[in-house]
Amino acid sequence: MKELKILLSKIIKDSSGRAKLITAIFGLTIAILLLLIAVQLQVNYNYLLNSKTNRDSIADFLVINKEVTDATLGNTQMENSIIKEIKSQPFTEAVGLLIPSRFKASIESNSTQFPFYTDISFESVPPDFIDLSGTNWTWNEQSPFVPIIIPTLFLDFYNFQFSLSQNLPQLTPAIVKMVLFKVTVYGKNSNRSFNGKIVGFSDRISSMLVPTEFMNWGNNLYATDTNTQVSRLIIRTKDPGNPELSKFLKTNKLTTDSDKTRFSKYRKVVDIVVQLSSIIGVILFVFSVLIFTLFIQITIANCKDEIKLLVILGTSPKQLSKFLMGKFFPIYCWLVSFTVFIIMVMQYFLHRVLDTQLIFISQLISPITLFVALFILGAIWWANKKTIQQSVYT
Amino acid sequence: MFELNRVIPFPLKEKMGEHKSDIWNKQIQFEPSERIKITAPSGTGKTTLIHQLYGLRIDYNGSIQFDGINIKHLEADQIAFQRQSSLSIIFQDLKLFGHLSARENIELKRVLQKPFYESSMINEMAKRLGVYDILDQPAGICSFGEQQRICIIRALIQPFKWILMDEPFSHLDLNNQHLARELIIEECTKRNAGFMLTDLNEDNSFTYSRILHL
Repeated sequence: MKELKILLSKIIKDSSGRAKLITAIFGLTIAILLLLIAVQLQVNYNYLLNSKTNRDSIADFLVINKEVTDATLGNTQMENSIIKEIKSQPFTEAVGLLIPSRFKASIESNSTQFPFYTDISFESVPPDFIDLSGTNWTWNEQSPFVPIIIPTLFLDFYNFQFSLSQNLPQLTPAIVKMVLFKVTVYGKNSNRSFNGKIVGFSDRISSMLVPTEFMNWGNNLYATDTNTQVSRLIIRTKDPGNPELSKFLKTNKLTTDSDKTRFSKYRKVVDIVVQLSSIIGVILFVFSVLIFTLFIQITIANCKDEIKLLVILGTSPKQLSKFLMGKFFPIYCWLVSFTVFIIMVMQYFLHRVLDTQLIFISQLISPITLFVALFILGAIWWANKKTIQQSVYT
Repeated sequence: MFELNRVIPFPLKEKMGEHKSDIWNKQIQFEPSERIKITAPSGTGKTTLIHQLYGLRIDYNGSIQFDGINIKHLEADQIAFQRQSSLSIIFQDLKLFGHLSARENIELKRVLQKPFYESSMINEMAKRLGVYDILDQPAGICSFGEQQRICIIRALIQPFKWILMDEPFSHLDLNNQHLARELIIEECTKRNAGFMLTDLNEDNSFTYSRILHL
């Protein structure tokens, strides 16, 4: 009842001091904010690792091959048994087979202004492992050209070394993509030429890539030997820094790009930061709830005589407890709503910033973060209820 | 209905053999609507009895039952419910919130449960007892006489089956005592309620169903 509430407010005053209340509110705000940020970051992080849109740009791809040593010279093919074993490892999300060309091939320019000719070899890779979106990564004999992906490194090599030494013009990626090359495949008794076009540049695999269909066609018709075993593998893994992965590679005498594992260290730092902020958030949260609990206890202790008289006159502990909860709980509700609002704004701006770097996260706060916010509210409600009941019923 | 079964307060345990009492260590019942006066010299437990019946003190042997339930066994919320709906009291030491106005002190008891009267009844009762003008003053600065009349109104504004009064007129002159008695009788009659009054003085203005000596 409103009248009773007004009267009780006049009797039970916040005599324990506004400064203490403000300190407690401030501490609790920071704590809840830290906790919710940690949760939201973790959600964003998981989203980046697992969502289809981001997976290719964030998840790590490792090209695995046998170590070339005196013992393995000429015998670096990946056997089926090792491929199966890699597939069954917990750190492996997907395995792609890199098939090398078993035929001779050359690529030359059709242009007299930009003359060049070189013998080359190709590797093929399934479309899922290509880091170029929107590219039609397939080929058949009726296709107008053979799509080729070259390592970015090759263009850099040309622009910053070769062109300068040969007095040739530098080329932008766009220009290179416009040029039609002549790709010739040589067999024992015949050869065949196609148009070739560079459709993209990749940082993922350091060889010239063609679609598997073209590779199979070439190897079937023009292979100089019948050995079609896999030379290398590409695997997709969530965590290239996984010690299990390193151990597996070492045991099986396999190697991979050590630069990739360095990235995983940065990711571990992010992990630690997220975990640390959760831990600090939890500690701050516990302390702030304690401060609030003490604040409530002090308020009740300061009004002990008034509360005693209220009970003597017939106020039920239930009524008192309801009044005290009504006095303090709205503060928490406002506080949690405020922190959720801050997180929402932060998430929106984070989304906008990352969007420009082609990293996609949701612009909305995660339901998990909202659930944690509600859980925090529930925990505070429970702690307050207990404190008030203990003080009022004794 | 109150039923007292061989109640002996701990502080009076040693004195029990010294004098005869109509209540202590006796089996006794107070029927609904009874009007009972308790007489006794100072220090023989009048306030103790009132507090025991109100459920404030449980330091006694024996048992007190109200409407068939042992008061000692009631939970805090059940006692509060009794004080809101069945038992009203006028304390000897008044027990007002000094910083609240006289009206607020009375209003508190009116709204603690589903109100028995509209708030306008406070004005009516205050006018009858001559404290209307001080209703909005802090109770703490009112005279004892005024405070006692505020306490009487506070006790009468709520629903009750019994009203317990511990020397309720100790600070009132004869005229004000008379006005207060009239109001109390009227309110008890309205509710068909009983009352118990302790008083040091002889008075004949109430018609008692029993006068008991402690």
